[in-house]
Amino acid sequence: MRFITLLASFAIIGFPAFGQDAAPTAAAEPAATDTRGLDQEVQDLKKDVVDLNRDLFVLEEELLFPANTQVAVFVSMDIGEFFALDSIALKIDQKEVVNYLYTPREAQALLKGGVQRLYLGNLKVGEHELVALFNGKGPNGLDYQRGANIKFEKGIGAKYLELKINDRQRKQQPEFEIKDWE
Amino acid sequence: MLALACGTFVGSMAWAAASYALLGKEAPDFALHAAVGENIRLSEHRGEVIVLSFWGSHCAPCDTQLAALDRSLKTYESAGLRIFGVGVDDDAARALDFAKAQSVGFPMLLDPKKAVGRSYRVDNLPMTVLIDRGGAVRYVHRDYTPKSDAQYLNELRELLNE
Repeated sequence: MRFITLLASFAIIGFPAFGQDAAPTAAAEPAATDTRGLDQEVQDLKKDVVDLNRDLFVLEEELLFPANTQVAVFVSMDIGEFFALDSIALKIDQKEVVNYLYTPREAQALLKGGVQRLYLGNLKVGEHELVALFNGKGPNGLDYQRGANIKFEKGIGAKYLELKINDRQRKQQPEFEIKDWE
Repeated sequence: MLALACGTFVGSMAWAAASYALLGKEAPDFALHAAVGENIRLSEHRGEVIVLSFWGSHCAPCDTQLAALDRSLKTYESAGLRIFGVGVDDDAARALDFAKAQSVGFPMLLDPKKAVGRSYRVDNLPMTVLIDRGGAVRYVHRDYTPKSDAQYLNELRELLNE
């Protein structure tokens, strides 16, 4: 009886182990397939997290800056031969809302065609004034400060303004303008 | 005021580290003018080990510490070490002179409004903050003696090896 029990135990425990040794490739293939499947699942999960994060970001912006009060100010730069940007200070209705210091990498990104959202805020419907002060190095590497201002009407929709820094070749000077995107 | 503050804190390193609120948290981002050279934004250096050394022109050990950090930079720069000196002086002109007088190979930044000093809760000079490659504050030192060098180096090596 004891012998039969022992034989039965061997049959249960020993044989599968023997079978694995005998055919290793057959067992490895399903394992590799399982890993690939798991990788795919992890990638899908990561994509879902990124999508969810994006949706939450959009939702947060819509809640914090609803379209009827939203004002966004963008910065763009063209050529930059006569002006090396160091900082921009922005005032809306006499109140400083941002003072941004640029690193060489950020200035380079603008020169390559990048557009930066410098400010996002809320304003009531009505007339407002925006003043931008540009600091940097002008022609001949000298300290250079210029201002630009615009009076704009904030309606019921979102308001987009763009601070544009251009080179004026004829005058060999930089030019600063503020464009209202309506 | 800074002269008085400098060196008055003589508590142990362990106490200093334990009571520092930013330990293990994300290092506050900042952008500052350098006394010489380019503007620096901390977040552009994510992926590198950062040492922020807060100094003042009246602080006697600051000179020695900045020189010691410069030696570390020469050794470990290629491994991804970046060091920024941050001046939190009351007197802007004096801070500029002090920064220009230091013959160090890292940017000496100026924080005249002390906004960065406040965000890092600087309460003694020199104060040194070590930030890991992930942007988290890992170590803080609120005093400096020549004996501190060995400890700095151990901590730097640990962060650089991560």
